[in-house]
Amino acid sequence: MNRKIMSGVGLAAVASLALTGCGGQDEPAAVDGPVTLTLAGWDFASTPEFQTLADAYHEANPDVTVELKEYPAGDDYDTALTADLAAGAAPDVFIVKNLKNYVTFTEGGTLLDISDVAAELDPATGGLAPMEVDGATYAVPYRQDSWLLYYNKELFEKAGVDLPDGSWTWDDYAEAAAELTEGIGEKQVTGTYLHSWQSTVQGFALAQSGAPLDGGDFSFLAPYYERALAMQDEGSQPSYATVTTNELAYQAQFGTQKAAMLPMGSWYIGTLVAEQESGAADTFEWGIAPIPQADESTTGTDATPVTFGDPTTMGINSGIDESKIETAKDFLAFAAGPEGAAALAGIGITPALIDDAVADTVFGLDGVPQDDLSRFAYTTHETLPENPVGPTTAAIQTILGEAHSAIMSESTPVDEALAEAEERVVNEVG
Amino acid sequence: MATPVAQEQRTLGLTEPGRPPLRAPRTSLKLRNALIGWTFILPNFLGFAVLTLTPVITLFYISLTSWNIFGAAQWVGLDNFARLIGDKSFHTALGNTFYYAVVHIPVTIVVSLGLALLLNQKLRGAAFFRTVAFFPYITSIVAVAVVWNMLFSPEYGPINQFLSLLVEGDLPGWTVSKDWAMPAVIIVGTWKDMGYYMLLFLAGLQTVPGELHEAARIDGANTWQRFWNVTLPCLRPTMFFVTVMVTIQSFKVFDLILVMTDGGPGQATLVLSQYIYQKGFEQFEFGYASAVAVVLFLICILVTVVQFLYNKRKEA
Amino acid sequence: MTARPSALQRSGRVLLYVVMMAAAAGIMLPFAWMVISSLKQNNQVFTAPVEWIPDPVVWRNYLDIWVRADMVTWVRNTLVLSVAVTALQVLTGSFAAYGFAKMRFPGRDALFLLYIGTIAVPWQSYMIPQFQMISSWGLNNTLWAIMLLQAFGAFGVFLMKQYYESIPDSLSEAARIDGLSEYGIWWRIIMPLSVPALASLTIITFVSTWNDYLGPLIYLRDRSLWTIQLGLQSFIGEYNAEHALIMTGSVLSVLPIALIFLLGQRYFVEGIATTGVKG
Repeated sequence: MNRKIMSGVGLAAVASLALTGCGGQDEPAAVDGPVTLTLAGWDFASTPEFQTLADAYHEANPDVTVELKEYPAGDDYDTALTADLAAGAAPDVFIVKNLKNYVTFTEGGTLLDISDVAAELDPATGGLAPMEVDGATYAVPYRQDSWLLYYNKELFEKAGVDLPDGSWTWDDYAEAAAELTEGIGEKQVTGTYLHSWQSTVQGFALAQSGAPLDGGDFSFLAPYYERALAMQDEGSQPSYATVTTNELAYQAQFGTQKAAMLPMGSWYIGTLVAEQESGAADTFEWGIAPIPQADESTTGTDATPVTFGDPTTMGINSGIDESKIETAKDFLAFAAGPEGAAALAGIGITPALIDDAVADTVFGLDGVPQDDLSRFAYTTHETLPENPVGPTTAAIQTILGEAHSAIMSESTPVDEALAEAEERVVNEVG
Repeated sequence: MATPVAQEQRTLGLTEPGRPPLRAPRTSLKLRNALIGWTFILPNFLGFAVLTLTPVITLFYISLTSWNIFGAAQWVGLDNFARLIGDKSFHTALGNTFYYAVVHIPVTIVVSLGLALLLNQKLRGAAFFRTVAFFPYITSIVAVAVVWNMLFSPEYGPINQFLSLLVEGDLPGWTVSKDWAMPAVIIVGTWKDMGYYMLLFLAGLQTVPGELHEAARIDGANTWQRFWNVTLPCLRPTMFFVTVMVTIQSFKVFDLILVMTDGGPGQATLVLSQYIYQKGFEQFEFGYASAVAVVLFLICILVTVVQFLYNKRKEA
Repeated sequence: MTARPSALQRSGRVLLYVVMMAAAAGIMLPFAWMVISSLKQNNQVFTAPVEWIPDPVVWRNYLDIWVRADMVTWVRNTLVLSVAVTALQVLTGSFAAYGFAKMRFPGRDALFLLYIGTIAVPWQSYMIPQFQMISSWGLNNTLWAIMLLQAFGAFGVFLMKQYYESIPDSLSEAARIDGLSEYGIWWRIIMPLSVPALASLTIITFVSTWNDYLGPLIYLRDRSLWTIQLGLQSFIGEYNAEHALIMTGSVLSVLPIALIFLLGQRYFVEGIATTGVKG
């Protein structure tokens, strides 16, 4: 289950693996004559990845056209797609966006068994292994974001605080945040910014403690919550109350230099570059560091830092026309393989398969920081899922989400809220 | 004055029989009436029966199954309802829904009736003020939630800044406090709904005959007596309608909670409608979600029937 | 009371206006915030504390929403839906209400209870069965679906029935003796007397269709079918949101309704009392 993404995985090795993968197939990849596949994605205006994959595949297979079906972004994607699946109106291929729904989708028989596609993918593909349910795989990851620490070099220098060097634990991070807040000494500018999502605390705790989500014991969350509460009480970050009631956006907080640090997913690299270019964000020098660790055993550039991030996966609608199945599988193998990865990296998106070529592409983009630590942080990490695949994940996450707002709003003390959550899991999830 | 008052004592409720026809009722007349009655109802009923009634009946069936939206539904009898009895989150949602409804219903009725009475007068600028009162209802709910959340912000919000001038000590945390989140949501709910129900009351007020007021005035009734003895009785059909609608809408409250607090902090503002959505669309337990919907339906119907009986007794 | 207003009364009036103006300002505050935010740069919309004066003032949003986004299509679709739904709802609702309010036949009350009963069922609990049904007719991803969905609700029937019952039966009795058919009574007597209720039903149906989000979200996929609310929501991407443009669109979407409401004022307060019906 150890899904390390190492920069050491060579491009040649990956390519040869993929080649044997494709070449070893007996059946023809596509049926005769032109085929049109439909693909469900969301918000095409600001999410170009679907069009990119469709175009790249069409270029490699001129006979096949991938037609995009647009769904709304956010949680509405699931609502709308669920309706279409229930009514048998969903496209041939769709994105399984929230990992916590994956088991329900498979149990409901909405996804085709694509174990053969999964078997031919590079095992280093981020998030691939856990997609296996009872010996079969129903969706493959094509994109895998991981959480990193963004920092504003200029604010660090102004406050006279040492830049992150990859050796930080969470305590070092908290200390730096306090020093920064004081050192910068400006009203409304804080050392760091923690967004209101439950994952900003729980994702790290789950990944770094190694505790199971469905073990019935949530005490592993306590130290992470106590630290977060202490930091907001100290004023090192805006309080949860302020973040939610004022609907603060992390892009604005970090982009307009109201926070010197920001733990955030790797998708923000592309956003920040674009916003600095358009003027929506200030122009300043920034960098990426590995996310702070629970203890020193995983810190330093010779270790592999542990972080979290859910893969975005793609599956085939079980209601697909039989004649299109092979084409659809080929498209999935393409999207999750090195060619898809190269295409995605070209538009600044982190593919599930990170190799040197991908890193070269991403760090070759204008505006992306060039220091070694940034590259290390981007390429080297053990990324564990925020939503481990399991039948009870969705229900447990709802309960933990409610615990999150109770704790962070300081309505309920940490231990009490976690005990209550444990009780509810017994009562409601069973 | 006697005649118009007697005239107001007309059919008001659900089962109140219509005025008997002048001629003696005959079977053929009854049949004719039934036929004509149905022709009136049919165009709407066709659409209603197919598009609303059928799915609603399906829902009742689903509540007796375990259905995860995909695939076939499995019959489980009353299992879902039995599970509700021990489900603490359901109890919390039920309690919160009652909290919201019990406060929101009377406050909204009083405020919107007051607004309607005020803006039914020949006031300069009444048209402008009526439009203003209706504004919260037409403004996008997302914008409403955003602005009110900012106003309620415990640290930077204008409401607490104002309150800090008046009182010493701890100020309410509003939407991020377990105890104050529900009052905050109720305030916004009332603010948003008042223009809507004002409009319905305003329409009802137009049926109050002016000469009745005139007669009462001549008899020496003061404003309060005229309101109590003339306006309110004339307004009874509208009052019944508004009460039923406010009640049902309050028990079904959904969007507002979703955008303002999302049920939080913790489960402080989790309501039944939201619980249905959570169970159905987040956890794919559609059979169970349907059972919650059936309970919500039964509560609404029960309260409506009580209101109906009360309305009838008042009328008699 | 008919004498010239005393000084006390006059100052009471002034006070009333002051209070009403203050209340009006308070009520309009969220709208004011929408307008202010629509004149800001995106990253300045949400701040702590709130900034009430945009700096710099960005007029571009009002151009961008037409040029960069497909606002014309959204407005057109929303208008088509709102007008069609309102027309159907008002027409069939007011027609059916007559049957419920003024006709007597067996099963009438049970049927009416059924109507009210469906109001008490939250839509999100039966929208999937409904969606499956409408999709099986091939109408998902068409504007027809939304029209069918909204046009035959129980609300209009309930509202109109309650209002009809406020209209004295003596009027229709007299017309009946004069030989008018029930349809004639509905059209010539009852409808003209129900202008305030019809106006309320019209504006309420129009607004709820205009602002509906969940219905279009479930049914409409193609960009060419999007409504204003769907379109505005599309400014909220996976990781980014164009709040300034959302507020611009919200302001633009509220204005026509406010205008209709303001212009339709006299219909809300025109009724039996003012049309000179004598008992």
